[in-house]
Amino acid sequence: MAQHENLSVVLYKKHDLRLEKRPVPEPGPKEVLLKIDSVGICGSDVHYWQNGGIGDFVLKQPMVLGHEASGTVLKVGSGVQHLQAGDRVAIEPGIPREIDEYCRTGRYNLSPTIFFSATPPDDGNLCRYNTHDASYCYKLPESVSFEEGALIEPLSVAIHACRRGGVTIGSKVFILGAGPIGLVNLLVSKAMGASQIVICDLSPNRLEKAKQMGASVTVTVERSVGAKELGQKVKQALGGAMPDISIECTGAEFCVQAGVFATKSGGVLVLVGMGKSSTNIPVLDLIIREIDIRAVFRYCNTWPVAVDMLASKKIDVKPLVTHRFPLEEALEAFETTKKGVGIKVMLKCDPNNQDP
Amino acid sequence: MALARPLINGDNLVVVVSGSGDIKLESRPIPEPGAGEVLLKMHSVGICGTDVHFWQHGRIGDYVVKKPLVLGHEASGTVHKLGTGVQNLKVGDRVTIEPGVPREFCEFSKIGRYNLSPTLFFSSIPPDDGALGRYYVHNANFCFKLPECVSYEEGALTEPLSVAIHACRRGGLRMGQKVLIFGAGPIGLMHLLVAKSMGANPIAIIDMVQERLDMAKCMGASITCKMEKNTCPREMASKVKAALCDMPDVTLECTGAEQCLQTAIHATKPGGVLVLIGLGNACATAPMITATIRELDIRGVFRYTNTWPTAINLMASKMVDVKPMITHRFPLDQAIEAFEFVKKGTGLKVIVQCEEPEGAQKEQQQMKTLEQCQQQCQQLLQQCQQQCQQLQKEQKDHCGRVGGGGRS
Repeated sequence: MAQHENLSVVLYKKHDLRLEKRPVPEPGPKEVLLKIDSVGICGSDVHYWQNGGIGDFVLKQPMVLGHEASGTVLKVGSGVQHLQAGDRVAIEPGIPREIDEYCRTGRYNLSPTIFFSATPPDDGNLCRYNTHDASYCYKLPESVSFEEGALIEPLSVAIHACRRGGVTIGSKVFILGAGPIGLVNLLVSKAMGASQIVICDLSPNRLEKAKQMGASVTVTVERSVGAKELGQKVKQALGGAMPDISIECTGAEFCVQAGVFATKSGGVLVLVGMGKSSTNIPVLDLIIREIDIRAVFRYCNTWPVAVDMLASKKIDVKPLVTHRFPLEEALEAFETTKKGVGIKVMLKCDPNNQDP
Repeated sequence: MALARPLINGDNLVVVVSGSGDIKLESRPIPEPGAGEVLLKMHSVGICGTDVHFWQHGRIGDYVVKKPLVLGHEASGTVHKLGTGVQNLKVGDRVTIEPGVPREFCEFSKIGRYNLSPTLFFSSIPPDDGALGRYYVHNANFCFKLPECVSYEEGALTEPLSVAIHACRRGGLRMGQKVLIFGAGPIGLMHLLVAKSMGANPIAIIDMVQERLDMAKCMGASITCKMEKNTCPREMASKVKAALCDMPDVTLECTGAEQCLQTAIHATKPGGVLVLIGLGNACATAPMITATIRELDIRGVFRYTNTWPTAINLMASKMVDVKPMITHRFPLDQAIEAFEFVKKGTGLKVIVQCEEPEGAQKEQQQMKTLEQCQQQCQQLLQQCQQQCQQLQKEQKDHCGRVGGGGRS
């Protein structure tokens, strides 16, 4: 391989996204060198591109984007036992740097010094070659495609959210937002045994997709409808019952409010979406009806479960991919994602393999 | 759980509000206990912020005073009479009452969360009358016996203690956890006592009033922090972190104030729990993105479930001492003054003593005796008059038979 064969999608600053050739890295101890195959574009990638930062995470130096990735092991660093060259893997982007109190209690996603692909200042996976901690690369069986492997990341958001929400057999679930995150929550809720899933969105097209992917009932949100009214509509959709668990996937204030009003007394509202720095919430209703709000941030301990669920065909994420672009057309891919026309836009990083 | 009770004559002095800002003492008949109920002779009733709110504003949220309402739900008394079917109590038992009684075994009751039952009876929440009077009827299953070592006054405080037990349980509080409490009023202090008894340490408490913080220190707070109206939430959170040498695992928000909610979110450790106890405005602005990035659990708590036995146990075993919370006492006939005093906010917990004072009882007894005498005299007089009339009639008849009236 030539030294600078590593075509990478690099964000220099807000609105300044470039394709450039970088050196191919060498795997350190306990790391592997991967030939990246498929990388999904996430809303956060687009957000960094458009705004240069998310909350306290601010871009200060050029950074490679992309954290929904899969690839093939090319080379293993010293001390790597469970992987060898040729293994197909999915990549977990969050790697704790130290075994702090959060790691010790199994919540390593909250570790403040965690490495996270494509969160400043850590480089992501939108490139031809990348190194990664071998413990955070999970073997994909032959029955699971590279694209499915890349989708394990958004699927993990949903597994973590549904676990935190306590979704289980017989749960009635209300999902706010039918974008990629809402849809993966739909798939996971179903797999966890939810008996009824109501999903809402502004877009009838997205709701159509949700219906195809297994939603029991869809509710189109009109802009004139108040948050309480939406709660009432959900109750009607469930035949007079209220959802045990609501999963808020939009970050919109209106949806957070509707989530509180819609949820049954004693139920749970899971906050997945991230919105403005300040949100107006109906606290009195929350308190009087003992609603639990459980916020989720990324995920922990989800990759093995996700691989199993995909391998056993209990969850089918393939319908989420609506657009594919070769890595060279990354800028066009980002523009397409920004327009919000499809669901998941996939970038194909291996010039020799453009298959799904 | 009968709602309408047949009434018998007697003197039940009660404290009533009508919703338009007035409060008065009223004399009502003593109620009769229905099936499964007991009639209690009330002893000690604490005044709660909720009582004051109904007096001043006539409503809290959707609960509106539409007809005269008897206040009081922090109460203890003595069993005076049993309704039919009551097995768990006998006359003379000293009890504390749990004010929330489910009217039906609904889906919430079935899972043990009867506090969320929409048709729950709750003493002193409109339209259900409370216990602030000489006598009160309550469901016998929701009256809990007080051991000898627990006073009636402590019995009255079982209710606010229960709020704290339920909140700390919902917060998943465990020994060794660091706790932050917002508010050092009666509710905040109860939470301090319970958190301590559950092994939390250190415990930091925040308030705007120095005297309250001083009291909190006496009652076992490790750290006290004074907050001003314009203190920046992030700054306050940093102060707490510095004082605790860490961020709290569990935060108990007892004020209902928006500023405190915001500070609480900034202060609580990632992965931690924020329990919302205080009721404030319908909506509040909060830094939810901070809550999200930290994976906070925010849990509302409403009243309590299954706390009375635990609360009584805590007081009986002396693990918790609620007595210092009682700062003032008023007899029932000075209840209005008691409420005026509570409204000022200077004391902590004010207890209304509901038993009739001994002197008044003697007087009443004497009055009854006099009445009975008068009645007896009246009856005797009537009897005498009847006998007189009878005698006069007999004499007339006799004279008629002997003397004749002109016939020879």
